[in-house]
Amino acid sequence: MDQQNVEKINSILDAEIEIREKIKEQVTEFDKKTRTLAGILNRIHSTRSEQMPTLLDSARPVLESCRETTAALAAIIPENQFWKWKEMWQNSLRNAVFSAVLVEYLHSGGLLSLPAVAETLGIKPEWQGRFVLPAEDYLHGVISMVNELSRLAVNAVTLGDFEQPIKISLFVKDIFAGFSMLNLKNDTLRRRYDSLKYDIKKIEEVVYDVSLRRLAPSSGEPEKKE
Amino acid sequence: MASTRVLDSRDTVLPVFEQFREELDDHNDRRERLIKSSRDVTNLSKKVIFLLHRIVTDDAGEFDDKIGRHAAARAKGKFREIQSLFAAMCPELAGERFARYQRNVSPGLQEYIEALSFAHYLEHKSLISYDQVQQSLCDHDGIPYFPLPLEDYLLGLSDLTGELMRFAIASISRRGGRQKASDVCSFVRACKADFERLTPYYRELRKKQHVTAQSLEKIEDAAYAVAVRTSEFDLPPEMLDDLVAQAVSHAADHSGFGDEPRRKRARNAEYGDLDDDL
Repeated sequence: MDQQNVEKINSILDAEIEIREKIKEQVTEFDKKTRTLAGILNRIHSTRSEQMPTLLDSARPVLESCRETTAALAAIIPENQFWKWKEMWQNSLRNAVFSAVLVEYLHSGGLLSLPAVAETLGIKPEWQGRFVLPAEDYLHGVISMVNELSRLAVNAVTLGDFEQPIKISLFVKDIFAGFSMLNLKNDTLRRRYDSLKYDIKKIEEVVYDVSLRRLAPSSGEPEKKE
Repeated sequence: MASTRVLDSRDTVLPVFEQFREELDDHNDRRERLIKSSRDVTNLSKKVIFLLHRIVTDDAGEFDDKIGRHAAARAKGKFREIQSLFAAMCPELAGERFARYQRNVSPGLQEYIEALSFAHYLEHKSLISYDQVQQSLCDHDGIPYFPLPLEDYLLGLSDLTGELMRFAIASISRRGGRQKASDVCSFVRACKADFERLTPYYRELRKKQHVTAQSLEKIEDAAYAVAVRTSEFDLPPEMLDDLVAQAVSHAADHSGFGDEPRRKRARNAEYGDLDDDL
């Protein structure tokens, strides 16, 4: 290799290494935040519904602090290179999505939309090409939430909340109906989608147990019979 | 954004997932198209490599630099064909898309770089530079179809060493071929040394470095066989060439010639098919 070529290669390489190091730093931060969130949200399984708002309030500031990380990442990524680096933070991002949609469900009972999650995490539309929330990562986060809700259905009953499993059942079925519309190829998203039916089954069993013993309020009547 | 912030019923969830479906379908379709194009590039590039091998080894008579230049000149048209494939892929790879689909076009791109660098070596006896490869992937105004990834450049070059091994062993029995083989040998050695420094950054390159080491060893073994046998005779080079021919076919049998039997078979099969259309 001649000198000029070696220099060219080195300059490209050095730039890439620098970006990688900077991203790594941010991903470590991002991970800390999503782990803190996971720790807080793990308490939903032992929190009674009247205390839930307080718990969610303690999660929100951490969720919002992710904005600093996304902004820092957007500043590091060169124009049009989002997809080149995204694998470095995709797990953290999916965890953050999971927390955001879970908090929203427990707050309002609805599914936080992709643009709304992006907004929660401070991801700005003008970052297109540098930092975005891809549909795939959003969907992964949503599936994680369903996984978590199947656990919550069980634990809510233990805490004496017989209404929650029925709410969860309706909500998860809507989400599953949405996923059924997608043409997924054989990737991790497909495998995780396939696993949703076990979550649904588990939730159904809880609903069945609860309704059989007439523990659930009668407002859930039509669903209980399934 | 016209969409609702929170989706609280099936009626609001479904349209949103319909959008996801469109988005994912669009992505998967584009990906498939690019994989197909990449395969076309791979095929054409392989043909160019066979063509180059054929010209430099089948041409009767003494091996000299003219044959290398001749081979490179004949490959030019084929390269233009491949470059037009890249040009056609260009709109699908515009902007941020290239980074997204890079791994889908990488195989073709690397095979192209392998072919291009082989032709370049035959013509100039040197390693094609990053800039030269990038220049070959530009439109008439010199605007790149896409930024050449350093990794693909390096991995393409790493494959070149395998082709050079075949070239060296095939030409070693010819007049002037021993000099050629020795040139190739030191060239491949230099390549291996150059790449070694970069292996910590690219995992694939580390794997290919093993193949390069094997190729180098095959050339060295062939050179050794030649050296041992020539030392026994005090003959003029032309007469030695005949003896060498025997030694080489022997060495090639033992070293397996190709790096994998499957590839060797495919190659022989294609040899027959391609003679007509090239």
